[in-house]
Amino acid sequence: MFRRSGTIVAALAAGLLATAAPAMADFWSDAGAKYQGVTLHGVTESTPPSNYIKDVLAPAFEKATGIKVEIETTSWDQMYDKAIKDMEAKTGIYDMVYIEQDIIYAYLARDFLVDITKSLKDDPSLKAPDFDESRFTTFANYFKNADGDLFGIPMEAFIKLYLYRTDLFNDPAIKEAFKKETGKDLAPAKTHEDYTQIAEFFTKWGKDNGKEIWGSTAQAHTGHPASWYEFFESVAPTFGVYNWGIDASKNYAASVAEGGSMNSDKAKTALKWWLHLRDIAPPESAASTWTEVGTTFAAGRAAQGFVYGENAAWIASDAEKSKVVGNVGVALPPVEPGVMEEAEAGKGYIGYYDGGAFGLPVTSKNKEAALLFLQYIGQDSVQGDWAVAAPRITNTATYDDPKVIEMDKTLGGYYTMLKDQGKLFAGAPPYPFHAQVREATAPIFYRILTGEVGPDEGLDQMAAAAEAELKNLGYRK
Amino acid sequence: MRADRPYLTVLLWTLLSLLTLFPIYWLFVISVKPAVELFTTPSVLLDTVYWNNYVKVLNDSTLRRYMYNSIVISSGNALLVTTLAFMACYALSRFDLAGKENIFFWTITNRMAPAAVFLLPFFLLFTQVFVIGDWKLYDTKIGMILLYCTFNLPFAIWTLRPTIDAIPKELDEAATVDGASTWQVIREVIFPLARPGLAVTLILTWVFAWNEFLLAATLTSFNARTITTGLSEYVTTTGTEWGTMASIAIITLVPALIVFSVVQRQIVAGLTFGAVKE
Amino acid sequence: MRSNRVGWLLLAPTILILAVFGIVPFLYVLYVAFHQWNPFGANPNMIYNGADNFRRLVFDAEFLTSVWFTLKFAFFAVASEVALGYLLAQLFMKDSPGKGFFRTIHTLPLIVAPIVVGSVWRLMTTPSIGIIPYLLNDWFGYDLNIGRDATSAFVITVIMDIWHWTPLVTLTLLAALVSLPKEPFEQAQIDGANRWQIFWHVTLPMIRPAILATVFIRLMDALRTVDEVWMLTGGGPGAATRYVGLHIWKLVFPKTDYGYGSAISVIVLYLTLVMCWLLYVGLVARRDRKRPS
Repeated sequence: MFRRSGTIVAALAAGLLATAAPAMADFWSDAGAKYQGVTLHGVTESTPPSNYIKDVLAPAFEKATGIKVEIETTSWDQMYDKAIKDMEAKTGIYDMVYIEQDIIYAYLARDFLVDITKSLKDDPSLKAPDFDESRFTTFANYFKNADGDLFGIPMEAFIKLYLYRTDLFNDPAIKEAFKKETGKDLAPAKTHEDYTQIAEFFTKWGKDNGKEIWGSTAQAHTGHPASWYEFFESVAPTFGVYNWGIDASKNYAASVAEGGSMNSDKAKTALKWWLHLRDIAPPESAASTWTEVGTTFAAGRAAQGFVYGENAAWIASDAEKSKVVGNVGVALPPVEPGVMEEAEAGKGYIGYYDGGAFGLPVTSKNKEAALLFLQYIGQDSVQGDWAVAAPRITNTATYDDPKVIEMDKTLGGYYTMLKDQGKLFAGAPPYPFHAQVREATAPIFYRILTGEVGPDEGLDQMAAAAEAELKNLGYRK
Repeated sequence: MRADRPYLTVLLWTLLSLLTLFPIYWLFVISVKPAVELFTTPSVLLDTVYWNNYVKVLNDSTLRRYMYNSIVISSGNALLVTTLAFMACYALSRFDLAGKENIFFWTITNRMAPAAVFLLPFFLLFTQVFVIGDWKLYDTKIGMILLYCTFNLPFAIWTLRPTIDAIPKELDEAATVDGASTWQVIREVIFPLARPGLAVTLILTWVFAWNEFLLAATLTSFNARTITTGLSEYVTTTGTEWGTMASIAIITLVPALIVFSVVQRQIVAGLTFGAVKE
Repeated sequence: MRSNRVGWLLLAPTILILAVFGIVPFLYVLYVAFHQWNPFGANPNMIYNGADNFRRLVFDAEFLTSVWFTLKFAFFAVASEVALGYLLAQLFMKDSPGKGFFRTIHTLPLIVAPIVVGSVWRLMTTPSIGIIPYLLNDWFGYDLNIGRDATSAFVITVIMDIWHWTPLVTLTLLAALVSLPKEPFEQAQIDGANRWQIFWHVTLPMIRPAILATVFIRLMDALRTVDEVWMLTGGGPGAATRYVGLHIWKLVFPKTDYGYGSAISVIVLYLTLVMCWLLYVGLVARRDRKRPS
């Protein structure tokens, strides 16, 4: 990943300080003067964007304001558990918490977070001149309530893409063999049938030529929610099954009988399509989470696949971790007829828009100082270097940064796709019970993957389990 | 001791050691391979060695702090636990205390609890009960040293009790007749004879404290964070940094090995007292 | 007879610490177990629901399967560890060149953190590119895929546990063997007893308390295993390695089902306790019959 060595961090920090405009420096030191001696505590996951905050932005902020910032980075599960315990027990340990897009609705439902828009309106002296909510990309909308007030400063955003190997797709011998076998020209698939055909072709080609190459990746771990996510966030929507097949307007129905679509024919077709891909994917797919899918593709073991944007970036550009640098093409996922139109009309989506934000818990004891820090990391001026160090874009202006434009080329046009087609993708549905329903249904999903339960029957059981859990939680009346 | 066929014993040991060492060797292999090599056709032997992971890890001052915390917490806890357990076992073995067998059994029940659920009451205790002014037990080394007693004390009491029970009562009774105080009996009669047991207890409680993950992850954050918890930072949603994690794990073997080889001599010291013959 | 006050005084710190960090949290968990409580439910507060949680778990197939798999796992792992550990401890009693060196090597697995143990075994067993499936395929043409095959995954978790924890058994039994008095063995040899007779009639009765303690510790730790298995298989394939510790972890961490999770924990604690109590009573009773005092 784009984990910097110590010297790069120092250089970036120095560059940042040098480019900060003098007028801004005045605001930060004036605003910080009131909070001398305060130490802010944040908790986040140890991903590259967060590590950049910890290693570069926090020290820079401290230099500008005199407010000390300590960012604790930990694993994904731990981070949630610690943040939730702190906010639930009102201990006030953290002044900043990482909020992944899929948990925001749970936090908002519990009033865990401070309304940033309102707080800055109430106390204009805290408002930084270079901070403006309107400068964020539309991804920020996921962190707003019904009134349009912001509850989190976006700090990372990615889409899950269709990656393919340009070297293989452009190889004349392979193109000819493909044409001979299928009568079609080899090109990134637009439909599911095309995708399957290409996948089958490459798996067979690998076997015939004694090469360690397969036609597709599959994030199909049999005991980790990664597989569940790949199906509900990246596969089912391309078949027209949205929001996990749960219909909030119909009393959170999941089963077809009650008005949901989790076990609809479309969902069943989607699952069977994906299970077939899993069978012709590399053998490690049955034990693959997003980590292994990224590494499988980076090791050159798959001709095409669905990969999260944050991994797509290093696969395309980091020679220390990837064997396919310079050979990665990006495309939109293949879809069923009609789905693309629905996505363009805003009625559906074709894949997952993933990311997270920094929020301020209401239990924090240093809200004012924390607001300053949140604005600091939301400024346009810090975004360019951040995007280069950890490929993520949250402010519209960042797309035009020369360094980002330069990088877009090495990433096969990933940023351009994020900018122009990002609207076709969507974040997790607005459910306050995200993890609960996932965990209630995932065990059945794992059994589908091992073959203990058939896909049709399995989806029926999952729909029933989802409804039972929703009833148990009190959402389904 | 039978002195027959030592070469056979050595051969057997060598084979067993290879089996034991293989996963650790593999850990080393992972730590010196660039990430790109991890997901390709494997080979048992290393062709190139890549030290970048170590350079990165050794230059990280945060990890040095974690390491220091781990050493303080595990050593503090192991010493405390072994001392307390030694006292407790002596009491259970030599005094006629009412209900002592029940107390003995009760101690072990403290190790049975599945940790995940108990994190919540621990968290509340540490952040809302043990609080003096601005000071909290949360995120302190002393807090972790005390907390680790819940699973280490039962272990220590149960492994030490057979050792102390096996020391003939006549020995301390004789000493008492000679006018020795309880303290003198413990120090001069029991302690030397219990040395192998104490050494093993010390080692293993140290190991449990050193390896503990879930409690430390929840109840520490900046100041008292341990190296084992630090390792989990490399398991993220964007991927697990196997190489970095493996190199830290290899480095953490060093202090553990030092503690081990020092204390292990005490187990052998017990051979002067008695030995099994086959 | 010395004063019992000294005895209680020596025991007091242990009782105090275990009461504060053992009983108090347990009472809290017991209290929560009688409530419906999920902070992300429509009603995020604790709602008293009597014994509903307990009634629910009796019919919870997922939980019951998980208990069954855990028992199987604990049985195979602990039985192998004790047998193997005893043999190794006996081997360490023999004189051989480089004994200290071998002993150190043999204890190395103990100091590898569980989360790392899980990671190494995961990388070693990744289907098709881990070293173990690779060699198995190369030598025997056998395809090991722990993502697909439940039995393989189960066996690998057991082997991993044996690798990790046998040294603990060896060390505790070694300490016990080393502390044994010489005389009974010399006497037995004079009486012409063979190896097996010495083991059965002399060694075993004398180290039975140490074996019991070791079995207890290993058993309850095996029943609580989380980190290694979480890293290795995540509980899969399907529910094949979703052992009860991991099951509870999944209920409490991602699912935040504190009420039901507490009820299950209380029951698991209770089952462990009963199992250990039966073992304990069985072995103590036998000892009393043999050596009336």
